[in-house]
Amino acid sequence: MLAPVKIITPLTYIQRERLLPIPGRVLARQGQEVTPADVVAECNSSPKYTILDIAEGLGVPANRADKLLQCKAGDAITKGDVIAGPVGLFQRVVRASHAGLVKIVGDGKVLIENKVSLFELKAGLDGTVAKIIPERGVVIETRGALLQGVWGNGQAGYGLIQLLLDGPADVLTADKLDVSVRGMIILGGYCQSPEVLKTAGEIPVKGLILGSMSSALIPLAKKVKYPVLIVDGFGQIPLNAAAYKLLTTINKKRDVTIHAQTYQTFTGERPEVIVSLPAPEHIEAHLRADDFAVGQKVYLINKSYTAQTGIIERILEKPIRFPSGIQSPAAEIRFSNNERVKVPLANLETFGEKNEQMTY
Amino acid sequence: MPTSVVDTTALLAIDIGTASTRALLFDVVNGCYRFLTSGSAPTTAGAPFFDVGEGVRRAIDEVEGAIGRRLIGNDGNLIMPSMADNSGVDILVATMSAGKPIKVVAVGLLEDVTLASARRLAATTYSQVVDIINLNDRRQTSDRINAIMHAHPELVIVAGGTDQGASKSVLDLIEAIGLASYLTPKTQTPYVLFAGNKELQKEVDSALGKNGKLRMAPNIRPTLSIEDISPAQQELSAIYRDIRSLQVGGMDELLSWSGNNFIPTATAFERIIRFLSKRYDPDKGVLGVDIGSQTTTIAAAFNGNGTVKVFPYLGVGIGSLGTLKKSKLENITRWLSREIADDIVQNYIYNKAIHPHSIPVSQEELAIEQALARQALRLAVRRSLSDFPQDIPRPASNLLPLFEPIVAAGSVISKAPTFGQALLMLLDGLQPTGITTIAVDQNNIASALGAVSKVNPLLAVQVIETNTFLNLGTVIAPVGNARYGTPILRVKMTNQSGAETVREVKYGTIEILPVKMGEKVRLHVRPLRNFDIGMGEAGKAGEVQAEGGVLGIVIDARGRPLRLSEDPKRRQRLILRWQQALR
Repeated sequence: MLAPVKIITPLTYIQRERLLPIPGRVLARQGQEVTPADVVAECNSSPKYTILDIAEGLGVPANRADKLLQCKAGDAITKGDVIAGPVGLFQRVVRASHAGLVKIVGDGKVLIENKVSLFELKAGLDGTVAKIIPERGVVIETRGALLQGVWGNGQAGYGLIQLLLDGPADVLTADKLDVSVRGMIILGGYCQSPEVLKTAGEIPVKGLILGSMSSALIPLAKKVKYPVLIVDGFGQIPLNAAAYKLLTTINKKRDVTIHAQTYQTFTGERPEVIVSLPAPEHIEAHLRADDFAVGQKVYLINKSYTAQTGIIERILEKPIRFPSGIQSPAAEIRFSNNERVKVPLANLETFGEKNEQMTY
Repeated sequence: MPTSVVDTTALLAIDIGTASTRALLFDVVNGCYRFLTSGSAPTTAGAPFFDVGEGVRRAIDEVEGAIGRRLIGNDGNLIMPSMADNSGVDILVATMSAGKPIKVVAVGLLEDVTLASARRLAATTYSQVVDIINLNDRRQTSDRINAIMHAHPELVIVAGGTDQGASKSVLDLIEAIGLASYLTPKTQTPYVLFAGNKELQKEVDSALGKNGKLRMAPNIRPTLSIEDISPAQQELSAIYRDIRSLQVGGMDELLSWSGNNFIPTATAFERIIRFLSKRYDPDKGVLGVDIGSQTTTIAAAFNGNGTVKVFPYLGVGIGSLGTLKKSKLENITRWLSREIADDIVQNYIYNKAIHPHSIPVSQEELAIEQALARQALRLAVRRSLSDFPQDIPRPASNLLPLFEPIVAAGSVISKAPTFGQALLMLLDGLQPTGITTIAVDQNNIASALGAVSKVNPLLAVQVIETNTFLNLGTVIAPVGNARYGTPILRVKMTNQSGAETVREVKYGTIEILPVKMGEKVRLHVRPLRNFDIGMGEAGKAGEVQAEGGVLGIVIDARGRPLRLSEDPKRRQRLILRWQQALR
């Protein structure tokens, strides 16, 4: 059976597309080294259009108005420029109400694309531009640690990491946040208080990585101006062992990048933490899809279990009935304390590691 | 051995759902078409494959393994037609519901007339109306252009102008669409489906036809009083197929295998419901409900005329957040038979949306998912009521009309641990009225049969006759309200051997008359206190022939509309009692 993959690894090959929302200009070159703040592409942010009724403005029929035009499609104009005219005794003219670009002229009308601000697309991580996607963006490659989460508030950032948890089940409270963590990315356990998010914004921090959070905080988390990334889910869930180990052993002098994007099951975009590291060229990417197999390290996505990572001891031949009464294909999972539990295959994700035969 | 009356044709149906891709094999056994087996695999339309082919092949592999018959040849292609060694199939049909709903801008002249028709047309498939444009929205052409460009639609549906009716106003609206299409980057140009005044087709073609994405359909509102969206629905299905072909890999191969027998799952579902309506009581309609991970579909048909409405982001998986957002949390928790803290329920729903494939392990989790299903059904039914024809028998405008039968599909129903749980979800969510049969599409085969019915209607008929839909029971649901415990119904049941059972049923209860599956009985039903059992008027008694389902004959005497107690403890006690009655 095909298994979904959640990658939590200290070292892998990472390739990420950075794409403009609409076609624009790519500024980076293939092979260019980039840092998270580098602008790799830009486009006009959602342009707006204005139609000027020249015929009505000049008080002439449409075909006459077309002959009085002072601009053509493709012309850049500034506010106040004469678009058409003069005509008549009082030398009537039509002036541009906005700066912009003339897109279409004819039938006594002019359609103008109003000048808009530039949208700048940043690299978002340390790496090398591996590929240019014309008019859309780039593919950046890097090597390093990768942690995939389950929820993000749509923002991105980078900075040094500061641990504010004593153990995976720790609760992050506002009193743990002070000026000493200003400008840093905070790793916390469970968050249930709006005060934490507010205080983090006031300090301000560069980002917040949480093991879990109360879903009641989602509206507030979407409003704050720094990235918030949830690793395991909603409700009081201890940070999973693999993520805890990874995040607590990160080199504190290296920049950590958070892409707290929304988890899109269709596109595969997941909220992620990336730490680029010096690594040999031959490091391979993790699998993005896998089949369940005995010996595989797996992540349990249901919070009913005492631990969230384990190893597939065996895949059961027939579906079994769970306490809910539902029958499902299942696997027997062994935890690090040798406790065993039967789990529906549908509630497991693998870590996408190749040829893994894991032992504790 | 009976002589075959059919051409021996093996048929494979592929259904690409949000969560799973299924392959269903049909063939002739003893001279009749039968559903043989199915296989399923996770859908691979999205990341990391972005190619439906992987999921399709894995689902077919399962079928091959289950039945020991080769369907895929050594070259990796489907073996078609079937061979003398019994390998391969002769026909493949495909349905699809996977993928994000198609973003639609609906355009019409008047909000309550042509725009409403355009919206109804959009709702017949997996779409989400992201903006509407009509004459009365008071926007300038440039504002309309900006609105279209901002919405990034994949499809613009234009209705407007009765035949021989308005033309200039329609062309004014077309101007904005044309300019927006011109200004949009070529790769993002939306399809346009024009289903308005047929006299304008030439002018619309000259304004919008240049980019090859204009489609024409007969006017969905040929006169003010007539709406006919069926022909445009076919064109919409074709556009759906084209859009998905551009978005998802592997579609070309699937389309070549299916010879373009590819339609949206909801269209196929409606087709089978319409098909059934020709076989059942012409005075009543047939209702189909399909509750999925991302969407809920309500299909109804009345004497061969069908309606279908797809509710995007209203489901029990990816759509569970939509169900939550469209309701108050208390409208979900009110269906629980036990106290579960609000934050636990809300956290569970958010986690479910993140992991839509996950399975409830504990009874508490199952209770939350079933409560979600009830609420999704409630919302879908309430929003469908106005789309049903006004002249069909119904006890009240805010209640479901009389249907016979009701067919329910979707894993949350068909894979419920007990038949009683499945039926109670449907009774709570749909709140059927009068006397009806409720059946479950236990093999999730309905949509496949809908797709098949066009290429091989005999197959659909013969497979339906094999009890592919599991009869949960005949349900008697009197309409009205009374004090809890008040007798509201007297039922006399006479079985085939003449034995009689008389039962007086009290308001607020669910009771079962034990009748074996398939056993036919005669029921004389007398409503008390002016309750209505669908015999034409309130208080009127009647006699009906009924058939036992797996749960026998079920009397749902909780009244309509169903009113749940405001007191949580009392409500939970009653829900528990209803669950126990259907155990």
